[in-house]
Order: sequence, then structure tokens, then C-alpha cells
Amino acid sequence: MSVPSVRLRSLKALPALYTRPGYTTRPCYVSKWLQSRGLQVSTAPPPNAVPLRKHLKDEAKRKKADAKAGTGLRRDNAVTARLQKWELTVGIEVHAELNSACKLFSSATAASGDSTAVPNSNVAAFDAALPGAQPQFQVATLLPALRAAVALGCDIQRKSGWDRKHYFHWDQPNGYQITQYYQPFAKDGAIRLSAEDGVPEEDLLGGRSLLIGIKQIQMEQDTAKTTHHPPSSYHIDYNRSGHPLIEIITLPHIHSPQTAAAVVRKLQSVLKAVDACTTGMELGGLRADVNVSVRQRGTIGSSSYSGVAGLGQRTEIKNLSSFKAVEDAIVAERDRQISVLEAGGIIAGETRGWSLGSTETTRLRGKEGEVDYRYMPDADLPPLIIGNDLIDHLRDRLPELPDTTVERVQREYGVTEKDARTIVALDDGDRLEYMEATVELLQPRLLDVDDLKLGKLAGNWVLHELGGFLTANNLCWSDLKIYPIDLADIIAYLTRGEITSRTAKQLLEYSNDDSTSRRVGDLIYDLGLLLRPLSDDEYTELARTIMDENPGMVAAVKEKGQKGKIMWFVGQMVRRGEEGTIEPGKAKEVVERMLAE
Amino acid sequence: MLAVRCRPSSFCSLRRVLLKHHVRAEKAPTGRAPLFHTSTRVAKAGVNDTLIGKYIAVKDNIVTADQPTIASSRILDGYTSPFDATVVKQLRAAGAAISSKASLDEFGMGSHSQTAFEGAVRSPFTRNGEALSPGGSSGGSAVAVVDKSAWAALGTDTGGSVRLPAAYCGVVGFKPSYGRLSRWGVIQYANSLDTVGVLAGSVADAESVFEKLDHHDARDPTSLPATVRKRLMPCNKEKPGPLRIGIPREYNISELTPPVHDTWISALSALRSAGHTLVPVSLPTTRQALSAYYVLAPAEASSNLAKYDGIRYGQRTPGSDASPAEGLPLYAKTRGEGFGEEVRQRILLGAYALSSEAIDNYFIQAQKVRRLVQRDFDRVFIARNPLIEPTEMPELEGVAAVDILITPTAPTLPPTIAELKRQTSVESYMLDVFTVPASLAGLPAISVPVPLSPALGDSMDKHDVRSVGIQILGQFGTDSLVLHAAKVLEGIYARP
Repeated sequence: MSVPSVRLRSLKALPALYTRPGYTTRPCYVSKWLQSRGLQVSTAPPPNAVPLRKHLKDEAKRKKADAKAGTGLRRDNAVTARLQKWELTVGIEVHAELNSACKLFSSATAASGDSTAVPNSNVAAFDAALPGAQPQFQVATLLPALRAAVALGCDIQRKSGWDRKHYFHWDQPNGYQITQYYQPFAKDGAIRLSAEDGVPEEDLLGGRSLLIGIKQIQMEQDTAKTTHHPPSSYHIDYNRSGHPLIEIITLPHIHSPQTAAAVVRKLQSVLKAVDACTTGMELGGLRADVNVSVRQRGTIGSSSYSGVAGLGQRTEIKNLSSFKAVEDAIVAERDRQISVLEAGGIIAGETRGWSLGSTETTRLRGKEGEVDYRYMPDADLPPLIIGNDLIDHLRDRLPELPDTTVERVQREYGVTEKDARTIVALDDGDRLEYMEATVELLQPRLLDVDDLKLGKLAGNWVLHELGGFLTANNLCWSDLKIYPIDLADIIAYLTRGEITSRTAKQLLEYSNDDSTSRRVGDLIYDLGLLLRPLSDDEYTELARTIMDENPGMVAAVKEKGQKGKIMWFVGQMVRRGEEGTIEPGKAKEVVERMLAE
Repeated sequence: MLAVRCRPSSFCSLRRVLLKHHVRAEKAPTGRAPLFHTSTRVAKAGVNDTLIGKYIAVKDNIVTADQPTIASSRILDGYTSPFDATVVKQLRAAGAAISSKASLDEFGMGSHSQTAFEGAVRSPFTRNGEALSPGGSSGGSAVAVVDKSAWAALGTDTGGSVRLPAAYCGVVGFKPSYGRLSRWGVIQYANSLDTVGVLAGSVADAESVFEKLDHHDARDPTSLPATVRKRLMPCNKEKPGPLRIGIPREYNISELTPPVHDTWISALSALRSAGHTLVPVSLPTTRQALSAYYVLAPAEASSNLAKYDGIRYGQRTPGSDASPAEGLPLYAKTRGEGFGEEVRQRILLGAYALSSEAIDNYFIQAQKVRRLVQRDFDRVFIARNPLIEPTEMPELEGVAAVDILITPTAPTLPPTIAELKRQTSVESYMLDVFTVPASLAGLPAISVPVPLSPALGDSMDKHDVRSVGIQILGQFGTDSLVLHAAKVLEGIYARP
């Protein structure tokens, strides 16, 4: 993580940065003073610490050795057999940073995603737990939380409350986190997933989609950011301290690691779509804890979680920060639990950790080491009362949810569900916007083509051709300099049969070139790319030349019946013919005819 | 040892204060010309001028930006707040000068002001040469008023911490209704009970300070909003005619000593002679109230004091913050060394009361008792509790309903310091039995000094306090009525 650490000298030199342009932050006396203290804690060096690089190296080595031993295939079969015998159950808690201008209980700027903010510059008295400072609930933070709860179909509670969860950690200045333990603000929601979201066939049980229950959503404070400076010191940045979070708790309705990852992905896309959150997992805006249990199929376990009874003893894996980590950690924990149970052991209720690249979860603390959080209502904060009028207002203005967008894109543009999902999911919705702009520009250019067909054309180009172009040139979406109007021109010329598809693809390269500001039409004329159809004779002549040079290939088709070689001739003709003159369809016709002679 | 730094100044009263070891005045009042600059400001604002140029001592758990605030705890050693508490700001705006920061029992936890990190507070009174307890936890504030180094003082009252030292030092101590004075900048001990209060030489002086501070503050989420304050207006009207005065039976306890008992009775009969009506009433939950208080206050303290880890401010034990080798949790060393014994004991008590195994039997039960205490009061006061829905109000005691209650503030006269040392914690907690119920219910309460009968007074050491604190309680929000009754009582004993 690239968290700036607290360094005293550089900060004193930058007083002007205490407030950032564009934000209205009070000149922050707290920050000045925090900085003068140099926030650092130190711990005893951890026993037998393994540096991360070495850890990763070791893991890679071990994997390689496993592969060499040829355990891969045999292992797969063993896994399948195991999973027929054992059923996995997973529940997830997702912590998401709300998109908010201020912190949950202070008017300090909430800019935790902004890694350029000077450490400890956005800190109000309460965020630093100064003696005598009190929390002031910021009503604005409620809006993104409510949008999320409405989008996830929750019952919004008219009255909810604030509780203190006590534990000592250097990322927790008050010694407690304010959360909604006894009375969360939203309950009983659900999220729907289909195969396209990444749910495996067997989890769908023959249905179209799967409904995962959401037990509750609560608002709470985020912690400070800490950076570890080995061996034993930590630098603290309170900018994130008190940033509003929501914690979404699903019911234990999940039965495969893939579905678990799909749930987290889907939650992220819904939260982004309704503008509840801006940063995703990749930037640390979303973190997940999973609880995992297994039981033999057909048996009833003795544990019960969130009102779901008959489950096996569960363990919790904390702080997973990528979709892959969610999936891999669950696989590893499932396999570990099955192994323990098959060997006659029992699963202990404990908290486990998972680190990047590992194949096993590790025990963090057992029940006896479990922190007693001593939840207590916060006597400083009055209950949170949410009126129906506010909920109705937000419900009426809720942005389109990803599933609705996918349906609309399928319906309006005639693209397949798979393509529609991809377009909607890509580049934070930019891809979809690009496509919609392209379709709009195509309409006046191709008046005789119906809208569905235009949509399909544009969809194909925006998704596959542009995608291929970016991959081939090792570019990303933000590098693209082709505007929708350029693409619309290219598609229009191609559709009218005025350029070949090879030319069309070449035009992508020309248009993306910084050095030219020429429009597509000018490029085509200036570079002489317009299709000049050859006569039948000219096609025949070119084909004849190639055939004469390659008697072997001719024989392969004629005598051995290798029809596939026909396309080799077509390719040669396109390559040899003058730019923009050979249409592959026509060439194929000619080659087939000649070789049949 | 007392850590005192004093700017060379001509404030001899301040010097005297310092010698008496009850305040930690780090700086003289921004003294050169408080009169000048405040009077110009006040003239502009057009407010009345009772506080202009007056010295007011502030209990050291109320933060001030110009002097250190350490709540008499080593863990805050050297801490100066970057901001003023709202009540301090209001005093300054009204033209008062903050004369000193008054010592207290560490974080307000205690009844005798003997646990301050900078040294125990000494009462100006003695009994046969032995030092008396000044009362606590606002002992420094009370002493500042007695020796006139301050005209009035701010204290805080969580379970009697303003009223008890007022009683032991023979001054007036007023604890308003919870939520009337801002707590922004008041270092939390038990935040559902903590109330800023005023100590002064007379009821009128206490009232004039209270009036300056009695405003809504948006920075304190528990400050009563304007809408509720408006609802309080009707019962705020001073009652001109005779008062109906309740005498709770449960306060006539065996621990009540004869001087206190007799003074209480004589005050009551003097009031009856003055035309007021006495009504015996019953507050059955009085005993349980004390137990509930000593569950709730430590529980909240364990939470409120969790922030003192030595990282951002205050005292920090050098070396590692974690101590895995000793099997101790994070910050154990800093917190172990920074907090005094009584504070450590209350944190442990509170942490236990909130633990998952004990919360149902302690914290939750205590909250239920707290509600019963409130119902006890709602049953006897004529004024209705503005915080309770009318449908949930208990039935009024009919003929027994009263305007105010009058009780002793404490069951005994101030003990000597030597006697204190022989007391167990539980015995010393017993002293709060009369003050805690009003704290649990958030009611306004005032302690007024009533002189001992001439016979009794003359038989005592003339350096003794020779007065008994008599407490007047009123329904939530009837602060003005309580102050009015206090003036009536005070008037009976005023020297002609």
C-alpha cells in the first residue's frame, strides 16, 4: 500500500497544504498539533517474521514443486469427490466506504481515497479523540447509506441507534468504534445473482438466478490508516479515521467460493451504480470478512448463525481485499476444514487470516483470545430517526441498477446478454456511454439501417474491435483517443461497403494516432483507402499469379481435398492486392471457382 | 508535588490560592486588562454586565486553550487543549476572566478531591487542628470560592461532585438539569450523567453565571434544543406563592448524623413557619439508585477513558506500546502508569459491568433502576417531565404532589482527612446516596449552606465549616423554580 507516512519535517514545510483547494476545510488546528507530535506507535518485533517478498517466492516455489509432482489432476478428482460429500456454507460481511464529503461524526473532509492528502490534515477534534470533543452526526452521510439500502431491497428502520464497540488498536483513537450493533438502520434485504455474475451452474439448481439474503446494513466509522515500518513501528494517518462506512451482512446462503466472490463483485457494482461508494476493492474502498463452515451433505450441524440453523462450526477470515482473495481464501478454508473433520478432528470457532498468494489460512486468534467488544449504546448520540418521506424521495430518484441497465441495453441495442453485461461492467460505465454515443451518431449516417442493427454493430465494435485494438497495442481504455464520432464514421463507411473491414481496422490505428487531427473521412481520401472494386478478370489474374507461385498449395486443395487452404489463398490476395481493393468474400468466391476447375 | 508555574504578577489573591494548594494556576488571568477589553465587547453585545471583570475558577476537566487542562491526571500531563470549552467561551464573552484551573479528583472520580495528580486539595477548614475534606470532585472549585480567589467557579457534577464540595465548604453549588449547559470541551467521565455546575457564595451569584451559560450549543449533541427549551418555559416561571415542599422518607437513613439531621429538621420547620407546606413523600428506589450509579458511571468511564493511550497527547511510557511478553494488552504500561488507583479501579469495574457475561446482570439492570428512579420523581412532582410522553407518565401521588424536595446534601459533616484514610471504597461511595438520584434522573439540584444551630455551632471548633448543605431538587427543567426555592431558604438564614 502506498500510504504516505507521517514525517514531521516535510509537513512543517507545507502549511499551505493543510487545506486543499476545492474543499472547504476549516484551518485545522487539530492537524497542526497532531503533526507536531509525530504519530507513531511501536510494538515488539513480531516473532519469526517472514518478509513479504520471501513469502511470495516460497509460495511460488512450492506451487511449482506441486505441479512437477503431477498432483494437479489427481487432486482435482479428489476435490470433486470431497465436494460431493461435504457442503460448504458461507456468509459475508462487506465494509464499504461511503461516498461522502464529510466524516460520519465531524465536518472534516472525508478524502480517504485521496492518497495525495497530507497525512493527518483532515482531522477534526473528535476524529483525533481530543478530550472534551463530542460526535456530531453529519446527516449528509446518511444519503449514500440509504441509497445502498434501498438498492439492496432493505427495510429501512424508522429508528436506529449508535453503539460503541470497544477495543484497543492504534488505528482507533477513541478506543472504540461507533457502529450500529443493537439497532441497525436497514434490515432484511436481498441481492439477486445469475450465471452471468459468475455463479456456477450447480449453485443455481436449475434456476435462472439465485437470491442471497442480506441480514442487515449498519453505518459505522472507519479506522485510521497505519503503515508498518519494520520491524516494529507503525505510522498513523487519521485522515481516514471516522470516514463513514456501511457494513453489509449477508445471510449464510452461499455455497461455493465462486458465488461468494460473485456476491462481493455484485455488491460493489450495485454500490457504485447508486453512487453509494466511489472506490472499489482495488483501491481499498471495499473490504470483506467471510465466515465459512462445512457439513456432510444430508447431515444437520449443531451451529446456528443469523437464524440459519443446522450448520457446522464456522470460522471467520478477516480483511480480504480482492475478489480473488475472497474466492481463494474460502477454497483454502473449506479444504482445511474438510481435512480436519475427515481426520476425526473438530473445528474450533476462531478468527483466521489470509495473505496474498498463500494456499492456507492461518489462525489469528481462538475463542479464548476473542475480544469482548463490550457493546454499549453511545450516550452522546441521540437515536437516528429516518422519515418515510426521505426514503420515498431517494427511492424515486435511485439511479438505474446494473441489472436494469443490462436488460435495457439488450432490449434497445439488440446485443446478447453476455455482451450487454460486459459493456455495462467495463470501465465504470464509460464503455456503455461510448457505445450509446456511437449509436446516436450512426443514426443520421445510416438512415436505412434499423436501430437494433445499429446497436448490434456499435456494440460489436465498441466491445470487440476496440477491445482487440487496445489489447493488441497494450493500451488501456483511458489511452483511447478515438472519439465516438470517428468510430461512427468508420462503421458507416464499412456498412455502406465503401471500405474493406481490413481498412476499417487500420483506421482505428490512424485515428488513435496523436499526431493527426484529421477526421476519418479525410483520412480515407488522403490515404486513398476507399474501396476501388476490381473486375472479375483482375481478381482472376491475381489469384492465378499466387497459384502459379505455390503449386504445392494448389495440389493440397485439388488432390488432398484440404479445403481449409482456400482461406490461405484469400489471405494472400488481400495482402498482395493494392490497399483497400480486395474484398475477402469476393476473393474467396474466385479462388473456390478456380480451384474447382 | 504540586507543579505550579506562575507568571510574575501582582495578583496576590492568586498567590494565596497557589499557596493553599487547591488549584493549579499555570498562568495569571490574561489579566492586564480583562476589564477593558471585555467591557467594550459587552457594550457592543448589549448584555447585562454581572460577570464583567469577575474572576471565575474553572474545574480542570473543562478545557481551556490558554492553560493546560489535565483533569488532575498524570495521563494528561502537559496537555493543553487547542480549543476552549463552550462554557469557557461563554464566560469570556460575558466579560469574566478565568482565574485558575481548579483541581479535582482525577477525572472527577472521588468525593474528597484527594486523588489529584498534582496533589490533594486542602480545605480551608479544620476540626481540632485536623484537616477536613473539601469534598469532591469539584473540591478545587469550592475552595476557590471560599477563599474568594474566585467570585464563582465552574464544576462538574456526575453524582454529586458540585453539591458535595459545596456542602463541605459552606458555599452554594448548583447542578442544572442535564442538557442545559453545554458539555463541549468538558472531559467525559460518565457522559450520560456529567453536568456542568456552578459554585458561588450566594444563590443569586450562581444564578447569574447559570443564566449566561444556559443556551443551546450545536456542538454538544446532548444540549437541549430550542424546541425543548421552549417547552420548559411554563414550569420555568417562578412560583410566587407558598411552596409545596416534599420530604422523602427514604432519606432519613441510619447513617444520617445528628448535626445534619437536626439542621435539616430546623430548616424545614423554618420554612413551614414562613408559610410553606411540608409534605412527606416516598422515593422507594433511593437505595438501589446508589448501586445503579456505581454500575453505570464506571461503565461509561471505562468507555470514555479508553481514548487515553498516550499516542496523541499526554503521558506515555517509553518503550513498546505492546507488551506481549508480559501477556498484557496494548498500552497496558502507559495506562497502568498514567491512571491513579481509583480511576483504574473504576475502569475495571466498568469494563466488567459491560462484558458479555455481566452486562445483563449489571449494566442492563442498572439502566432499569435508573428508569425507576426517574418514575419515582415523576410520581411526586406537580410539574410534568417534559422528556416523557404524557401517556407514559406515572400517575401523580395526588395530595402528596410537590413543587420541590428538600433533603440533606450529604449524611455527615465533612470528615477529616485522617478519617477518610480509614474508610473503605464502599463507605466512601455511601456519601453519594442523597446526590446520585438527581443525577440519574437529570434533575436540577442545588446545595445551600444552612448554619448549624447556635448551640451546636458554638460547641464546635471555630475553624470548622459549621454549616450543613441542604439540597433542593426539582422536576427536570424547573431550574428557575429550584433557584427560587434556594433563595427562599437562603433568605431565612441571611444575617439581618
